[in-house]
Amino acid sequence: MNKENMKADTTVLPSEDVTTIKQKKRKATFTWYLFLLPSFIGILLFMVYPIVESFRLSFYQSNGTIETFTGLSNFQLVLTSATFWNTVWNTFFIAFFQIALTIPLGFIFASMINSVRRGQNFFKVIYFLPNVTSIVAAAMIFQFVLHPEMGVVNYALDAVGLPTSTWFSDPSTSKWGVILLAVWHWIGFVIIICLANLQAISPEMYEAARIDGASKIQQWLFITIPNMSGTFAFLLITGWIGGLQRFNEVYVLGGPNGSPARSIQTMGAFIYERGFTGFEFGIASAATYIMFIIILIFTFINLKVSKMNL
Amino acid sequence: MNQKSMDNTTGIIKFVILLIFGVLLMMPFIWMVSVGFDRTANITMPFPPRLIPEKISSFNYGIVFENGRLIQSYINSGIVTTSSVALQVGASLLAGYAFSKGTFKYKRLLFILVLCTLMIPMEPRLIPLYTLFNSFGLLNSFWPLILPTVINGMLIFLCKQFFDQLPTTLREAAQIDGAGEFRIFFTVYLPLAGPIAATMVILSFIWSWNDFMWPLVVLNNQELHTVPLYLASFSLENGTSLGGLTMALATVSILPIVVLYLFLQRYIIQSIALSGVKGE
Repeated sequence: MNKENMKADTTVLPSEDVTTIKQKKRKATFTWYLFLLPSFIGILLFMVYPIVESFRLSFYQSNGTIETFTGLSNFQLVLTSATFWNTVWNTFFIAFFQIALTIPLGFIFASMINSVRRGQNFFKVIYFLPNVTSIVAAAMIFQFVLHPEMGVVNYALDAVGLPTSTWFSDPSTSKWGVILLAVWHWIGFVIIICLANLQAISPEMYEAARIDGASKIQQWLFITIPNMSGTFAFLLITGWIGGLQRFNEVYVLGGPNGSPARSIQTMGAFIYERGFTGFEFGIASAATYIMFIIILIFTFINLKVSKMNL
Repeated sequence: MNQKSMDNTTGIIKFVILLIFGVLLMMPFIWMVSVGFDRTANITMPFPPRLIPEKISSFNYGIVFENGRLIQSYINSGIVTTSSVALQVGASLLAGYAFSKGTFKYKRLLFILVLCTLMIPMEPRLIPLYTLFNSFGLLNSFWPLILPTVINGMLIFLCKQFFDQLPTTLREAAQIDGAGEFRIFFTVYLPLAGPIAATMVILSFIWSWNDFMWPLVVLNNQELHTVPLYLASFSLENGTSLGGLTMALATVSILPIVVLYLFLQRYIIQSIALSGVKGE
């Protein structure tokens, strides 16, 4: 009945009105595109164009002005370069230990902060402070803090009878210096994210567990940790994405070639070195694509792995 | 009763552990300030480390300010950050609103495109962006630092989520009054967007202020260096010599951010937490 009525209505409508409605709709759509205009100019000019252009460049030998097509030779050169694979190893090594140390440690501290009755806010502010300071300034400070002879960390280690380290002054230990800096800088972020999600777990679950006689530790193991798996997945993924792009602190600590002896040169630093100290745009572009693909594959794996946990 | 006293002792133990670890985390800052005030630290660092320097002096801080490059870099960072924040937050508010309340063709597809930008790192874009700005003769200016920040997928996403929570009935009422889409946005929805705008400003400020790799590529002219660039060039020049000066410089560069953070800590921490929780 109703449907028939509507049908009748549309047939009765004069054709002029239909066109004005259409025009109005088109005008409205146009207005909405105006809202999107600034962002999409940005996407086209600063995202799509550079991504396509650097793909093209990776098949050329180029210094910015003279270009010659060289096919896949840039990729071949990068993939057979021991220097490049060394940077891949450095990047993964530092990122792995940063993540493996910071997420559990940050989660434990977040749980502790969440359960103390006093000073929650105070601890939050203190623990997040390193993350607010720029990593460049932090690297500058850590050069001194981790100095083998006059640094305060070695002094403290020695004072409590622990072995000291050569940190940034020796290729065999320099990565650990970067890891320590990275943990120090990232832990506040991990704690804040964990805390926000800890507080989102419904208190009723704990209530039910308490009635069933579960201890605090049991509650933590069987309620808190399973409920946090989404958070861990998020931290794992953002941690790896950030870790694989590491550049700022290793540039300050070791320059574009990651001294000592390229021991802390990351993939990002390799790209910078080839692109902007050597002006080998083709090779650098090929390297960025290899890095980009590594990040995508790794993010995909991380997503899969963390889905399995969920 | 017994349970309660046990809870109390574990509470105190936790508190003490948190306090000790907190002091450890703060140790680099404390030491930095202390060495900055040490008159002799440029020749030999105080060893064993001490909290109060033997010869307290503001000598290092004096040099840092006299040099003028730090202040110049602060002004530069200020210009770049303010412009970036305004551009980025403005564009993201418009786009986020359209993706939330708008009805237009390809809405879903375009939104997916925005989310895709989150996956694209800076590195593959460095060289083409460099040559792009070079061809316009804009290297060694602030434009390359400001303009590309116009697109930020994360902010658009956060903004859309926020507008999704606001009722559509507000629009309908204004529409009946004959208001156009832009007027509805500016007079009805924007005044309600205060909380998300504050979050966006905070996040955008942190990203822009700490940006390093891209400015390093485009700014060769020392006079245009932002704060992180100045710090890096100072640090690479001097290595681990001139400890006192380095620490004074680090202190002065960190201090304003720390003060700002202490004033706004509640909002900053909330913003970070939001970007993480929503990011899931």
